[in-house]
Amino acid sequence: MTAVLHNPLFREPSTISGATREIEFRDAIREAMSEEMRRDKRVFLIGEEVAQYDGAYKVSKGMLAEFGERRIIDTPISESGFAGMAIGAAAMGLRPIVEFMSWSFSLVAADPILNNAPKMLYMSGGQLGCPIVFRGNDGAGGQLGSTHSWAVEGLYSNVPGVKIVIPSCAADAKGLMKTAIRDDDPVFFLESERLLSIKEHVPEGEYLIPFGHAAVRRTGTQCTICSWGRPVNFCMEAAEILAKEGIDCEVIDLRTVRPLDLPTVIASVKKTNCAVVVDQSWSFASPGAELASQIHRHCFDDLDNFVYRVHSDDVPTPYSSKLEQEYLPNVRKICEAVRAATYRA
Amino acid sequence: MPIEITMPRLSDTMEAGTVIKWNVKEGDFVKSGSVVADIETDKATMEMQCFDDGRMAAILVEAGKQVKVGTPIALVALEGEDLAAVKAGGSATKVPTAPVVVPPAATSSAARPATVTQTETRHGMEGFPTEGEDGPRMRVSPVARRMAEDHGIDIRLVRGSGPGGRVIKRDVEQAIENKSASQASAKSSTIASSQALSVSTGGVQTPSAPLALALPGRDVALTGMRQTIARRLVESKTTIPHYQVTMKFDMDRLIDLRANYNEKLKSSGVKLSVNDFLVRACALAMAEHPYFNASFAGDHVRIHEVVNIGVAISLPEEKGGGLVVGVIKDADHKSLRQISADTKTLAEKARTKGLSVQDMSDATFTISNLGMFGVEHFTAIINPPNSAILACGAAVQQPVVRDGQLVVGTQMQATLSLDHRVIDGAMAAQYLASLKEFIEEPETLVV
Repeated sequence: MTAVLHNPLFREPSTISGATREIEFRDAIREAMSEEMRRDKRVFLIGEEVAQYDGAYKVSKGMLAEFGERRIIDTPISESGFAGMAIGAAAMGLRPIVEFMSWSFSLVAADPILNNAPKMLYMSGGQLGCPIVFRGNDGAGGQLGSTHSWAVEGLYSNVPGVKIVIPSCAADAKGLMKTAIRDDDPVFFLESERLLSIKEHVPEGEYLIPFGHAAVRRTGTQCTICSWGRPVNFCMEAAEILAKEGIDCEVIDLRTVRPLDLPTVIASVKKTNCAVVVDQSWSFASPGAELASQIHRHCFDDLDNFVYRVHSDDVPTPYSSKLEQEYLPNVRKICEAVRAATYRA
Repeated sequence: MPIEITMPRLSDTMEAGTVIKWNVKEGDFVKSGSVVADIETDKATMEMQCFDDGRMAAILVEAGKQVKVGTPIALVALEGEDLAAVKAGGSATKVPTAPVVVPPAATSSAARPATVTQTETRHGMEGFPTEGEDGPRMRVSPVARRMAEDHGIDIRLVRGSGPGGRVIKRDVEQAIENKSASQASAKSSTIASSQALSVSTGGVQTPSAPLALALPGRDVALTGMRQTIARRLVESKTTIPHYQVTMKFDMDRLIDLRANYNEKLKSSGVKLSVNDFLVRACALAMAEHPYFNASFAGDHVRIHEVVNIGVAISLPEEKGGGLVVGVIKDADHKSLRQISADTKTLAEKARTKGLSVQDMSDATFTISNLGMFGVEHFTAIINPPNSAILACGAAVQQPVVRDGQLVVGTQMQATLSLDHRVIDGAMAAQYLASLKEFIEEPETLVV
């Protein structure tokens, strides 16, 4: 993974100096898309309500005005159709960004996004690539009921040929989106509706964040907590609580689950001898299960306990807000797992 | 999910408990709040409640067996759960007898030194079944095993504090620390290794067993109380620099005053003992000598703000014998009559249903009195974390010289055992002098 670091634009947002500039997560994604569209005429955005309505979640606000209807394209409610069409465009040399209003709706486009996009390069013997970004809201937490609350990383990370990006903060979202658009492979970019309105510092100027590079959000010595996406924020809260109890946690934000930055995790677990994996997908056959398995394999002689995992409960997402909060990998569950993993329960 | 009942931690110092009696059988219905078993902790026997409604599916630890805190001892099936299935699922975790009670056969290792044999067989046994002829399989976390190798620690000698007795990182860290500490301080390698062993074992285990005589005899299993006495008093005698100071007290006036009061209070059923006067005298003397009401705490001495006097109470042989310390709380604020009533209540309770943890907690000073058995002089072992204990003999008539005249007087000897880290000899003498004033002018104890 060090090979990709040669791009001079690859920079950690936290290392970029300059005035503090707070913008919303949705603004960060829009900035990334707009900057890339200005830079590269092949890039276009397609999806339901992205143009005339400025985006169902206002991520593409103002983009129709700047780029016009040939590059900001409204579609009918037909995920399978527009996803398939965009994949064809990518194969023919364009660089589409496909917005799913929710990743839950991508299930009806499973055949094009799982069967066509990630296999095209392989099945065409290298003749046709598929440089495409699929993006949209992923995960529960907004009382959208079980059918609209999918954390699709549980399903999609099983498929070879896709790259899966799950940012936890606005600055990362921008840098990772720019990398996604420039990547020559299909990228599934999973945003959280619960994060879209959160305002955070996003540095001025251009920067990209490479895939497969985790960020150590907090350093610690007694337990490594690994997560990605929105739950990283819960892990940080939990680490504060645990610090008061005398448990010093290191929090690692993986940022991409495909590729997965194992070296950073392994180095940390070799130091702490203890790991907890927090993943908002269901536990069975999940990216969290994969990471735990990798830790067990690579850190076997360094572990003081088996790797504890915190997931969403193994039931369809509840609608009730209280039940939904309890269902998600929340701060309490993370604290309990860390205490158990460090034998402090 | 069936409910797993584990050995509860019923006191701060409790590390293992014995199921004395099950009040329910497998198959019985249990309700939240019902007392399902009696558990013997280090000193008291307490009732264990069930917190769920259901049926007792499996009893995993039979009465009389001792297991570590946290060990599953029973499974309760909730409504709608199949008893047999719950039991079948639970039997895999069936726990054997804790090794502290029944050490495994030492015949195969007769050539080894006794202490080592005991240590090796003891460790790693807790909480999982014996496997094969090579003895129990140990549970060790991978990093603990690697650290032990790196530091030359014999993992078999490390006591596991993790689930099922698993040896975890902090146990090995502790062993490494003990090893370096003992190596630094030991005068010879023999002492070093024995220290490392005794420190790393800890817990409820009795300290290194003395060499046994190969003579016919019978073995008496240790009760929880006997184990605690063995552990705590060895800890006291080996870690506290004890010394003793004795003084004689003229008891004539106190005995007269006591007889006088007891005569007057007879109608109200009050009978003050000599010991009641001693408790009050010791408590009042604390005001002038706060270091007697203190604990040594490593890098500082903690002076307590309350005066709680512990009174050693021996238990009758038919109750299993042994010794407990009942505590008279705030003894410096209590009248003789209140002290007398408290002591009687504690002694009665100790000898019938047993003292609660509450009754035995937080003594800051202890009195042991063998005067009623005719003993004139003895020394006691400090009851940690106290800094002193007073051993009182009998008040006996003897020839005494008073104003140059030989007369018959009644005297009592009392001996302080002291922690020299907290109290020096001159301080002990001053405390005894204060005690002497109170005892020889007993009216001061009344007002």
